Amino acid sequence: MGEAFVQGLLLVLQWKPFAFMLLGIGIGFWVGLLPGIGGATTLALMLPFIYNMQPVEAFAFLLGMHSVVATTGDVTSILFGVPGEATTAAIILDGHAMAKKGEAGRALGAALASSLVGALIGAAALALAIPIVRPLVLTFGSPELFMLAIVGLAFIASLSAQGARGMVRGFLAGGLGLFLAMVGQDPQAGVARFTLDTLYLWQGLDLVPVLVGLFAIPEIIDLVVRGTSIAGNAPAGRISQGALEGVKDVFRNFWLTIRCSLIGTFIGITPGLGGAVAQWMAYGHATQSARTPEERKGFGQGDVRGVIGPGAACNSKEGGALIPTIAFGVPGSTSMAILLGGFFLLGLVPGPDMLTKHLPVTFSMVWTIVLANIITVAACFLLLNRLTALTRVQGHLLVPVILVLVFIGSYTSNTSYADIVVTIVFGAVGYFMVVAGWPRSPLVLGLVLGKIAENYLYISVARYDAAWLGRPVVVALLIVAIGVILFPIFQAWRARQRHA
Amino acid sequence: MKWKLALIGALVVSPMAASAQPTFAGKTVTLIVGYKPGGGYDTTARMLARHLPNHLPGKPTVIVQNMPGGNSIIAANHLYMVAKPDGLTFGTFNRNLPIAQLTGVQGVKFDMQKFAWIGSAANEATILAIRNDLPYKNFDELRKAKQQVVIGSTGPGANTHDFPLLLKELLGVNIKLVSGYSSSADIMLAIERKEVDGRAGSYTSIKPFIDRKLVRPIVRARSMEAGLEQLPIDESFAPTPRAKAIMALRSAPEVIARPYVLPPGTSAEIVKIYRDAFAKAIKDPALVAEATKAQFDLDYTSGEEAVRILKEVLSQPKDIVAEFSKYIKFGE
Repeated sequence: MGEAFVQGLLLVLQWKPFAFMLLGIGIGFWVGLLPGIGGATTLALMLPFIYNMQPVEAFAFLLGMHSVVATTGDVTSILFGVPGEATTAAIILDGHAMAKKGEAGRALGAALASSLVGALIGAAALALAIPIVRPLVLTFGSPELFMLAIVGLAFIASLSAQGARGMVRGFLAGGLGLFLAMVGQDPQAGVARFTLDTLYLWQGLDLVPVLVGLFAIPEIIDLVVRGTSIAGNAPAGRISQGALEGVKDVFRNFWLTIRCSLIGTFIGITPGLGGAVAQWMAYGHATQSARTPEERKGFGQGDVRGVIGPGAACNSKEGGALIPTIAFGVPGSTSMAILLGGFFLLGLVPGPDMLTKHLPVTFSMVWTIVLANIITVAACFLLLNRLTALTRVQGHLLVPVILVLVFIGSYTSNTSYADIVVTIVFGAVGYFMVVAGWPRSPLVLGLVLGKIAENYLYISVARYDAAWLGRPVVVALLIVAIGVILFPIFQAWRARQRHA
Repeated sequence: MKWKLALIGALVVSPMAASAQPTFAGKTVTLIVGYKPGGGYDTTARMLARHLPNHLPGKPTVIVQNMPGGNSIIAANHLYMVAKPDGLTFGTFNRNLPIAQLTGVQGVKFDMQKFAWIGSAANEATILAIRNDLPYKNFDELRKAKQQVVIGSTGPGANTHDFPLLLKELLGVNIKLVSGYSSSADIMLAIERKEVDGRAGSYTSIKPFIDRKLVRPIVRARSMEAGLEQLPIDESFAPTPRAKAIMALRSAPEVIARPYVLPPGTSAEIVKIYRDAFAKAIKDPALVAEATKAQFDLDYTSGEEAVRILKEVLSQPKDIVAEFSKYIKFGE
């Protein structure tokens, strides 16, 4: 195995795969930066180009592109409050708040450094998990997946403001999210639910227009109303100098970075949960690191830990998601499903063979993820000053550009005008939620997890009746979920004790 | 949207001369796909977009435009009502749209028989496969199973669901259908961890797992593919002519699994050009090599044959349609 590990690296370092990887990184860089245009779509469009490539070249190209998207997506999210990817929305909450305080450099530094750490941990997990991957994935059946969704939903407690009022608002917003997840044709009876007699809503609400509306529109309105640049009146010198500070922040909170990376990897390994979940669970976990109520209130106002958490999880999940794809031919996300098509094109059959006969190829994928992330992060650091300077551009010059990108981004999800309508509707919802002090993240978590929770609950009950409730992993996850809900209450209690 | 497309159409498209042999030289042909990029319909369309131009007069550029939504009813409505019948737009959509029309699904604005049919690029042989470690070696043994056999599915409207549903409802096979898996690959994983006992689906997608000896094929629907010669057909076990008709109706669209059409009213001349080019493209060694690499089985079905199948589907008596609608919902 050690031999294959080194062989994998040498495979990627040949000049052709390496050149293809650089090309992939170049494409992924822009796809990530542009809002809406997703990594999955781009992968699908790039598949025809790999027909004549060798497997190692093809994966260097595709994975190089894919592993960069989340990293540069963070950049757009932080600078403009516009989700560069559906998987980089959580980082807006604190990342963009930091940019508004004039700390764009620090936020970017933290995001990039945590992305790198996350990617490395994800890749390491992929390498380490290879011998145990089959039993690991097979432990998680539908009941366990349902409970994982419940654990995810429990994080609403951490994503809400403290106090009874904050909790009620948080769970109501989460409930709205669950309700929105029901829109579309249901997979049990085939009934069209809440589709308002439109064909557009048959497939349910698309995540990208909803996220873009919910997060980008309020920020754009805010920018227009303030009439200044994004960084407002923050002193000029501070903005770009903080990058090193941000990197240091990651190492100051190193265990948090590691824990959030592991959350991301784990969500990635579990097929069926989808990439958009990991960031929110990581963000919820990051808020748990607040020691005092004052610290907790700082989240959403620009706490660097709120950047580190999702930043790390977002990149670590890619290594994780490769595991079920390679070992079972079961993709962990949409992008992985398309990558799977690439496997067949190259004559590789995912399954046990990839862990024995083709092990060097598998390891070359690990190395591609590692190298692509190192190269991207280095490139981003070189561009950092230019990027952060954008937060000093006057709002009236910036807003038209952002608006165009935002609406094109939404429109690409279905190429339908209804995408624009959804963006505007959720823009209004998002704006009023911000004004009234309601948290938006529980809504997104509910929307992302709603379908998963519903389907796996149905399957669990249909398959096992009530017996699934007694499965050991289910019970363990239930305890975790209760712990997650009680943790903020424990935090408040501990803070009171300390004051007394 | 309509006016905009019409405008673009008016700018880009000049009506083709009807007298001389039409040529597409220098033109751009749009291929509308009723799904997002990445799936089987899209991948097939993109392969075709690369090879079809070599067989069309004047070698036009063919570009793919994805128009997802409403299980591709949106794309079909567009092709029916908006797209100009000038040979510069053609499209592909959900093979079950005839079923949607038959059962009167809301939002359907097209009449399948009025499209100018080019043909189909593939057929889909649906089979039921069960775990290799189950005691049932063939369909007869499965029918006599005392214990319930759990079959996972993605949801109504998909062949993972409808095919086993009819086996249960019409042939009385002791099946428990568990739906809601997010993809057929997901069901495969559930089979691997013994959460379910088997699944239905296209032979192409299940074949790697048959080769790995995880599952064994038990029964198939009407549509045929090489390698399935020994497998019995569900219809042959039908207890009544009515049950047989319903099973036949469900599987009829599977012969035209990758349908390609031109807008209604396209001139016979252009239709003929497309039909000829399509027939040649599907057998083009370059395309076949590409498809084989991607593990796609291409099978050519002519436009005439597609129209014949449609006629058969859409001319079913009312009582059959009513009973059919009890079991089958349009979806995916």
